[in-house]
Amino acid sequence: MNPWPFVIAAYALTFAGTLGLSIAAWRAMRAAEQRADSLKRDR
Amino acid sequence: MPVCRLPVTKNPRNKKSCLATEQSVAARCPFCLTPYMSNFIVHFGQLATGLGAWAGVKTMPMHAYANPARFLSIARPVTPWLFWGGLVLIVLGCACGLFLTPADYLQGQTVRILYIHVPAAWLGMGGWTGIAIAAVMQLVWRHPLAAIAGRAIAAPGALFTAICLVTGSLWGRPTWGTYWQWDGRMTSMLVLFFLYLGYIALGNASASNGNAGGVSRVTAIFGLVGAVNIPIINRSVVWWNTLHQGPSITLRGSSIDGAILWPLGLTVLGFSLWFGAIVLMRMRAILAETKVEARMQRLARG
Amino acid sequence: MAMTLKAKHQRLVLALVALVALIGAGLLAASALKDEAAYFYTPTDARTKGMEPGRAIRLGGMVVKDSIRRAPDGVTIRFAVTDNKATVPATFSGIAPDLFKEGTGVVAEGAFDAKGTFVATNLLAKHDERYMPPELEGMTYDDKARDDMARTMTVAK
Repeated sequence: MNPWPFVIAAYALTFAGTLGLSIAAWRAMRAAEQRADSLKRDR
Repeated sequence: MPVCRLPVTKNPRNKKSCLATEQSVAARCPFCLTPYMSNFIVHFGQLATGLGAWAGVKTMPMHAYANPARFLSIARPVTPWLFWGGLVLIVLGCACGLFLTPADYLQGQTVRILYIHVPAAWLGMGGWTGIAIAAVMQLVWRHPLAAIAGRAIAAPGALFTAICLVTGSLWGRPTWGTYWQWDGRMTSMLVLFFLYLGYIALGNASASNGNAGGVSRVTAIFGLVGAVNIPIINRSVVWWNTLHQGPSITLRGSSIDGAILWPLGLTVLGFSLWFGAIVLMRMRAILAETKVEARMQRLARG
Repeated sequence: MAMTLKAKHQRLVLALVALVALIGAGLLAASALKDEAAYFYTPTDARTKGMEPGRAIRLGGMVVKDSIRRAPDGVTIRFAVTDNKATVPATFSGIAPDLFKEGTGVVAEGAFDAKGTFVATNLLAKHDERYMPPELEGMTYDDKARDDMARTMTVAK
């Protein structure tokens, strides 16, 4: 059995998950902190 | 102690390969200057997890970081270092594991899945250990950031548990001849994944219900109870007959030859730093959201 | 102040007691499950517990060295499974995984026939916790596989 499709699939899924959560966490943080900062300026 | 449920035919090479391990690490690994580095890599996993938890609880005066402003003044500059440092180490470790190390004598190229499967397994279990520690700090010391930390840890913990299950499945097909079997190790790891899903659902439901963005106390108790599963996962391959092999990396050393082992140190460190960065990002997001919500409520009340 | 400290200590003791009770319960449950949660039976289990023929079980152990025989039909193989205390003969017709070899672990799904031979319907390879480059094993993976194959073939003739 050729092992490479399994190895490549494992690495691809891991990178997809890692990058996906990176982007999601960063976007959520930036949006929330910008809203909090704009509140401060409104005051 | 490397324990194999199956009686291994006495292998006289075992001793030789242990000796060869130290030599081959020094000869092959461009980052390891001395043979002693192999020991460092072996113990890094356990040491980092244990010390990190101990230092977190012990060196921090219980309420020194209770003030979010103080926590944020440290979390803000640390986040990018953890994130980019972790990512660089992950890419470096994976590249070394894919292109520089030799194939295994029995499994061939499939063994390269090791470099992501093992960090994913350790961090999936480490994440729940973190949830349990946060739960104790929330329940006993009423530390206001602990409830938020528990909720922040859950998402990357669940992701790593899922990665562990999927990469393990992709590893099993070419070696064992099956994607999935209900043996002790696989079943207990799947249970951990479902525990994460339950914790996330409970935490999200309770966060906005007067818990200031953190998980409720009931959720924290759930996190503490679920921690029973962690030693069960760890010991499953020793207690029961399983398809999954026994532990390779133990406090006594490693039964993985140094020539194959060394990139694992890079990926474990890299994924750990990245995990820390995601937790800080999520804590910062929750703190900012809570601030906005509190302000809105004040405005509404006039 | 004294009150809060006391309450805190109470909670700490409560949490510790709960944790110890939980871990105790977990260990108890795990040890009670010891037999139920076993993924496979060893040849010793098969001997001592007297597996009745026809009952679907999994049998796990090491493939005995020099025991693999290929039948003339080309798909049926006969081999022996051992745990170093008991040894059980087994047969299998079909495609075995690449890692199924003499001297390595195997988990066979199937049932015993009336003569005490384990008739496997599916084979899974079980490897141990050692990983090493082929040079250390003495020969490359392909060489080793070819060597095993050649030996099996000559014996079968």
